[in-house]
Amino acid sequence: MNIFLEILVYGAVQSAVYALLAMGFCLIFGVANVVNLAHTALYMIGAYLIYTFFTLLKFNLAMSILLSTVSVGILAMGLYRFCIRPVIFSEWSVLMVTIALALFFQQLMIFFYGPPDRNVQGFIEEKFSLFGRVDIDAQRLLTLGISAVLLILLWLFIYRTRMGKAILAVAQDREAALFMGINCERVYLTVIAISAILAAIGGAFIAPTIGARPEMWAPALGRIFAVVVLGGMRSLEGTILAALLIGYTEVVISFAISSYFGEIVAVIIILLMLTFRPSGLLGKRVEV
Amino acid sequence: MVRKGRRTFFTSERIGLFIALAILSAVPLFIKKRAIVELIILANIYAVYVASWDILCGYTGQVSFGHALFVGGGAYTAALLNFYFKVPPLLTILIGGGVAALLGLIIGMPCLRLRGPYFALATFAAAGLPHGLTDVYWEITGGLDGLYGISPVWPTLNGKYYFSLLLTALCCGLIYVGGRSSRGLILKSIREDEIGAMASGINTTRYKLITFVISGFLAGVAGAFYSHNQLHVGPETLSINLSVLVIIMSVVGGIGTITGPISGAYLLTIFNEMLREWEEVRLLTYTAVVVLILLFVPKGVLPTLTDGIKQLIKRKGG
Amino acid sequence: MGAILEVQELTKYFGGLGAVRHVSFTLNEGEMLGIIGPNGAGKTTLFNLLTGFLKPSRGRISFKGESIVGLKPYDIVNRGIARTFQIVRPFHQLTALENVAISCLSKRAIGKAIGDQDVEEKAAALLESVGLSGKEGIFAKDLPHGDLKRLELARALAIEPELLLLDEPFAGLGLMETSSLSPLIQKLSQEGHSIIIIEHKLRELMKLVKRVITLHFGEKIADGTPDELSRNEKVIQAYLGKGGMTLATG
Repeated sequence: MNIFLEILVYGAVQSAVYALLAMGFCLIFGVANVVNLAHTALYMIGAYLIYTFFTLLKFNLAMSILLSTVSVGILAMGLYRFCIRPVIFSEWSVLMVTIALALFFQQLMIFFYGPPDRNVQGFIEEKFSLFGRVDIDAQRLLTLGISAVLLILLWLFIYRTRMGKAILAVAQDREAALFMGINCERVYLTVIAISAILAAIGGAFIAPTIGARPEMWAPALGRIFAVVVLGGMRSLEGTILAALLIGYTEVVISFAISSYFGEIVAVIIILLMLTFRPSGLLGKRVEV
Repeated sequence: MVRKGRRTFFTSERIGLFIALAILSAVPLFIKKRAIVELIILANIYAVYVASWDILCGYTGQVSFGHALFVGGGAYTAALLNFYFKVPPLLTILIGGGVAALLGLIIGMPCLRLRGPYFALATFAAAGLPHGLTDVYWEITGGLDGLYGISPVWPTLNGKYYFSLLLTALCCGLIYVGGRSSRGLILKSIREDEIGAMASGINTTRYKLITFVISGFLAGVAGAFYSHNQLHVGPETLSINLSVLVIIMSVVGGIGTITGPISGAYLLTIFNEMLREWEEVRLLTYTAVVVLILLFVPKGVLPTLTDGIKQLIKRKGG
Repeated sequence: MGAILEVQELTKYFGGLGAVRHVSFTLNEGEMLGIIGPNGAGKTTLFNLLTGFLKPSRGRISFKGESIVGLKPYDIVNRGIARTFQIVRPFHQLTALENVAISCLSKRAIGKAIGDQDVEEKAAALLESVGLSGKEGIFAKDLPHGDLKRLELARALAIEPELLLLDEPFAGLGLMETSSLSPLIQKLSQEGHSIIIIEHKLRELMKLVKRVITLHFGEKIADGTPDELSRNEKVIQAYLGKGGMTLATG
């Protein structure tokens, strides 16, 4: 029974973080047709920034989160403007530039913080007892909570605001949106900023649990590939469903067999999906 | 291959290649510092890595993030055979190549019907698998540390060097000739428009598979040689870092031209070494330079250079 | 002169949409057949079915007496069926000569060539036969539309096909270009090629063919001489709508 509760919570937390990251990734791809391989690098920078502000500089929590998030948001917009936009006409160049950027950021973190893991103290140093049986640390619950809130806010933003509708329009048909007078450039920037914020917060909140490592962007990237492929690159609902599936499968397998196999679950899923159903569980049929 | 006008054996490109080969052959005669010779050997090996990648990816237009699978497959096969069964180096290299060729077939088949980013994703994912496997079976593979004590391919440094040069000349030569032949033209047509190629009667599936196998074989051979060169095999030969490095070298050098990636391999290997003086910022500078090159020299260093030279010649002449 | 192509009850559904429905016809060796019909009638889908780019939901296709359903497109090409595309699709980054050379490197064509030299000569000769001599070294992306149409034709001919499927060969061509392309197609028919042409330029088409099939919503609604068709009620309605009869006859 205890195991089940643990799996329930751990799986939820895992899925939540994946959802945050994958949503951002999908948004950028769906709207601007950009496969941003540096996306999880932003998540990593979020983790390192919270380490810097909260642990090293001892700012208060709210300030640290705010600074980290805003910094990453600005960084992302700058990256878009100076590194992605110049080559956006070529899918291939975008892939190359963004992966080179991810590698660069990895080296940048090593340069500033050194290779070893960096530990961040938990935002709330408590453990809660779930149903009086299992101790779950508050950090994990907090992460879960904040992710859920953000995802709901995102949903509201996209489906209930004008900018959200503009985003949907551009995602569906960029030229038509241009003709409607929608400022695509502003839409792109908004989407970039949102994705970056989601990634940064994900990184900041998960940092106390897993620490900050210069390589952490790579396995995360592999995971969200799995989520995105499973959920369909252009389906937001599919992404959430996929994040849940992958998050839970990973946790279950890690518990049941070993963490290595938990890690390769994502990989196997990607390969299976791409072979048999590249459009994803809920995505539109892609002409391959 | 198919060009209008007289065809001479000595095109400017071939002259350049012969000169490069001549310079490389002379290296051990003029350079006595061991570290530098070792460096060029490494560059020779990387040249085969990138050339075998380019014929597969640059030519067919499908970017594979999993080239390390072939390299590492060859490296580990050779190392394991040599370490546990004392199989001599030459044989291990051939068998290593064979195993990698088989891997090429196995990976090629499901990847056939994937396009663009999906293909890249699949290879990226597949590339992550074996790395962990070496961990799981660490008793056999030596885990993170790998295996030490692999036999050298030749006892002396110069001998080793010329062996590597022979390897590179043969492998890269094969790829170069293939790429410039009608087979290479067909691969390019597949990159341009696979459906159009099919409508022209080309069995695109067979061409892609064969290219996977050849690419795998040659990368595996180079990987196997690497094991015998380092006297050691480790999971870095299977890592995604190696795959990405190969791609970066190819793109920086000029994707889809064979000569471009090869020059990229030499350039970046030497550049990396030059940065060793500033060890702290070495990788930082390296990656920063790569980003800059990707942004400002998108066609690749070699094509941009040759285009620039051609423009200069035109202006001087006209 | 026997039948070179037999199509029976050919049907293709996309979900609930019947793009091609129960189409049957026979093409005799050396015959030139026209296919007309309003946009969306299923003409190009028919070509895609014949050339293996789509699998039929139902029906039979036999070429020279053998079924070709389920074969890969390149296998069908190597049996002797070549096609051009409605919207030209050359290899943009290759030269005109290289474009044709690809087709010369197909299994069918290569069997008759000896080495790279021969392929180059063959390709050059083909370019000449469609009126593109002198343009061998020009990249396809730099060729004008009319030349690209001829290039498509040269690529199709490189396979030495017995059956040619031309999808709107005159699309996008001006009057002069059309009237210079027409005799080329005429000559191909005289040389013995069996040809099926999809066209919208009815006047030009009727000058070439003696038999026309009309498709409408995926079904074959008429099969006869151009004359017969111009008096066929169903055909007129398909093109001009219900009130069309009055327009056409009145």
